[in-house]
Amino acid sequence: MTATTWHTHTPATPDTVQQWWVLTMRLIVPSVKTGEVLASVLAPAAFTASFYIPLKTVMMFSGNGFSSYAQYMMPLVILQAAAFTAISAAFRSATDSVAGLNRRFGAMPLRPLVPVAARMSANLFRLLISLAAAIAAGYVIGFRFRLDAVHTLGFLVFSVLIGLALTLGADVIGTLSKSPEATSQALVLPPLIFGMLSTGLAPASQFPEWIQWFVRNQPVSQFAIGLRALAGDTAGNAGTVSWSLMGPSLLWLAAIVAICTPVAIRLSSRRA
Amino acid sequence: MSLLAARTGDTAGETSPAALIRHTLIQTQRLLLRWARNPITLFETLLIPCLLLIMLDIVVGGQIERFTGEDALYGSVPMVALVGALSGAVAGGVLLGRERDAGLLARFWVLPVHRASGLASRILAEGCRILLGTIAVLIVGFLLGFRFHQGPLAALAFFFVPVIFGLAFATIVTAVAVYTAKASLVEGITILTSLMMFFSTGFVPLVAFPTWIQPVVRNQPMSVAVDAMRGLADQGPIARPLTMTLLWSAGAVLLFAIPAAIGFRRASRR
Repeated sequence: MTATTWHTHTPATPDTVQQWWVLTMRLIVPSVKTGEVLASVLAPAAFTASFYIPLKTVMMFSGNGFSSYAQYMMPLVILQAAAFTAISAAFRSATDSVAGLNRRFGAMPLRPLVPVAARMSANLFRLLISLAAAIAAGYVIGFRFRLDAVHTLGFLVFSVLIGLALTLGADVIGTLSKSPEATSQALVLPPLIFGMLSTGLAPASQFPEWIQWFVRNQPVSQFAIGLRALAGDTAGNAGTVSWSLMGPSLLWLAAIVAICTPVAIRLSSRRA
Repeated sequence: MSLLAARTGDTAGETSPAALIRHTLIQTQRLLLRWARNPITLFETLLIPCLLLIMLDIVVGGQIERFTGEDALYGSVPMVALVGALSGAVAGGVLLGRERDAGLLARFWVLPVHRASGLASRILAEGCRILLGTIAVLIVGFLLGFRFHQGPLAALAFFFVPVIFGLAFATIVTAVAVYTAKASLVEGITILTSLMMFFSTGFVPLVAFPTWIQPVVRNQPMSVAVDAMRGLADQGPIARPLTMTLLWSAGAVLLFAIPAAIGFRRASRR
């Protein structure tokens, strides 16, 4: 009876939604069980404390136009939390790639984009936890949403979009790499350089002149400016949300997605 | 024939002090070669501290100078040298875990190698690595404007602070690494060291911290080591911070040396 079914010419019919769900849970459940997910909560709290407590006096004694340092540096904490999620995303996709799991998925009756979609939804899960922890930590040090609900929603959506773009990029890098440890170590440096050499901690005018053009225009600064405008400030120097203010950061996001999506699709539909 | 003679000569003195020195030197050379030939660890322990120093000088250096009127380099150069020593210790811990898992330690155990040379060579290699890292950081610091103002003897002592500090930390990492090879534990140590860096007097001056946290910042291991090195290079008290550094280091060694040695022995006999 089974033999007859086996020999029919009907191809296996994959249930895409169920496959996606199973593969997503494969990534989420173990990290919850081992408590690894706690890192997504602790890391943003550690970033907040490490930037805010030592730098508050030094950075604010000459003033930077904001009502508090918490309000000023909060976007950088959001961006660091997103970068932290991206590094662990790269570690995971590299582990799958090195262990031969992607190759195995390629040989199974699986729709090509299901594995990458599952990895991305697991990344979204971690991203949401880590962003929530970052905002909670921000509230503790005195960060507040000063504008209406639409702007606050915009802040949340914008942070999730940045996080998704970064994790997508990291997923591609991880899939292409040969070693999970080497990848995550190599990815520690870019957030450090871009984070410190941005307007996230200090205004561009406080940097040496020769580097100011880079500090002003690089993506992290643009993201920080956009997030600051969406959060608002009582001192009134946060800027107003407009196409000219949000434009550069939206273009950076579009560029990351436009480069990474075709690569991600190509990598996951490759059958070897 | 001569080969056989050499071998018998060797096995006879497997436990002799001469063998200890010879085997330790050979194993130290092995570890240092391994380090030098792995671009990632080399990059991590030599280049990243230098980049970090340049970055700190650009981002917070100017602000601190305007805030205190003193050159921030005399805090950041020592701090970065110490951070380099710590991250080198973590890299060494990872390598040790890998060698245990690959069975290399067990293999040395059944060869005519002096028992103590495994651990001794790791200490010596670690010391060399920290010294090289400190020199690299100092070269960058020198280009940025860091100078020794207290004479050659103090400058010499300056180099020994990161070595002592790093070796004490390496003892802790070894004790952890020989029992568990888990990557998350190494990650935990990395988080601990970065917290130590941010909450130290090398990152920003003590007065910039809120009063409630100042006692912690002032007395934590990295701050006292930074202060000692600052005193040896520029100005400020030396006696108290140096004593505190030695106390912290001695405490770490006393607490963790025996577990590290037992763990190393156990890992070798696996």
